[in-house]
Formats: sequence, structure tokens, C-alpha cells
Amino acid sequence: MSKLWKIILYTGLALIIVGAFVWAPLEPKILKEYTRIFYFHVPVAWICVLFFLIAAYYSFQFLRTKDLLYDAYAKISNELGILFAILATVTGSIWAKVTWGSFWNWDPRETSIFILLLIYGAYFSLRSAVEQEDRRARLAAVYSLLAFVTVPFFVFVVPRIYFSLHPDPVINTQGKIHLELRQRVVFFSSLIFHTVLYLWLFQMRKTQVKLQMILRLYKENKMLEE
Amino acid sequence: MNPEYVVMIVNLVIWTGIFLYLWRTDKAVKKLKQEIEDLHLSEKLD
Repeated sequence: MSKLWKIILYTGLALIIVGAFVWAPLEPKILKEYTRIFYFHVPVAWICVLFFLIAAYYSFQFLRTKDLLYDAYAKISNELGILFAILATVTGSIWAKVTWGSFWNWDPRETSIFILLLIYGAYFSLRSAVEQEDRRARLAAVYSLLAFVTVPFFVFVVPRIYFSLHPDPVINTQGKIHLELRQRVVFFSSLIFHTVLYLWLFQMRKTQVKLQMILRLYKENKMLEE
Repeated sequence: MNPEYVVMIVNLVIWTGIFLYLWRTDKAVKKLKQEIEDLHLSEKLD
């Protein structure tokens, strides 16, 4: 990512923080002061789903090509996905504490993110349980694809089937967005800039993993020559 | 001072810290990439 984009990202997210605290109006009935978490909680959850989707894509690419680089990309994507899922859980718990009175209520939304964390946690257990590299990559890729099948179910379906205290999603069941103009500006800017942050993080980790692989192959080749 | 502004400033400081850390890491990764490209390791392995 170029220097200009980094500066735009920094300024953009800083402005979103200021906008969320000073500029955007608060929701007056239920959320009040805690409306602000919304501008960070939803984008973080969105990025988590995006990382899991990209992990599924690279897992599929690995199964198609058997290139271990794709397996490494799927792994880092799942790592970052879990990190953002934890951030979404923590911000959600803070929100739950101030609106529902307790950090954890086993609400359908909380239960579904908890199960997702377990599913993706198991991905790393699986990886560490298999020593042979090819076999590990193959099993992890299949698991990652199967794990992603559950994501839409847990994120979009389960919380709509059962009664949930969780507020309506941004675009609710009537297909409407109940946000004021300034709230919309801060929220959608936050979504865009968090996505840019996602692109930067992922690109950086991809380069890092590629370099690690080149160095490892170089060392192995050198050892063979000796 | 209004507590809201205190929280906002704390948020801004945390974001600045994260951003500077990422910037430095990105710089280190790019430097490493350049060093590897200078050694022509990736071509040797292709």
C-alpha cells in the first residue's frame, strides 16, 4: 500500500473516531451514549466475515493447485479472522453490559459467534495435530471450506430464527436503514476505512509469509547442495 | 473536561499507536523484501 493510502487511512479512521464522539447524533431511546460502539463493532464483525471468506477462497485455490503458498494465505486469513471475531465479541460484550446489564447472556447472536470462534479455533488445533505438510494443508483446506459454510448460517440465519435482544442489523428485515444522515456518513465511512485497514493488514502478512517461504526454500536448497 | 472527550482522545492515542506499529512493521517487511530481491533468491528458486 502506498504512503498516500496509509495517510488517508490514518486520517480517515481518526476522523471517524472524532465523528462518532462529536458529530454523529446519539440514538435517544435505548442506546443513548453507547450508540458509538456501533460504529466500530459492526465494521469489525464485517471484516471478520471477510477474512473467513478469503480464507475459504485460498483453501479452494490450494485444493485446485496444491500450491502451499495458498495454504499459507488461508492460514493467515483465518488467523486475522479470529482476531477480528474476538474484537467483535469484546465490543459486543461491552455493549451487552451497558444495554442488557451483563457481559454475556447466551443471546443467539452471542452464542453463534462463540460457536464460530470454537469452529475456527479447531482449525488451528487441526493444523497443529498433523505434522506432514501436504496432508496438513489438504485437511486444513477442506476444513476451512466446511467451516465457512457455517458462517452465513451463524451470522445471518440463527439470530433471525430465534428471539434476540440484539438490535436489528443495519439493513433490517423490512429492508430499511434506520439511521440519520450523519450516523450513516460515519457508519459507512467506518465500514470503508476498516476495509482499507483489512487490505493493508492482509497484504502485509501475505508479503511476510511469502518471504518466509522463500527463505525456507533457500535454506533447504542450500542444505541439499552441501 | 467532558469525559466523552477523554474517551475520544484515548481512542485517538490508541489508533495512533496501532497505526505507527503497523507502519514500522510494513517498512521492515518491505526492507526485507528488497534485501531478498537484491540477493535474487526468488529467481534462483523458480
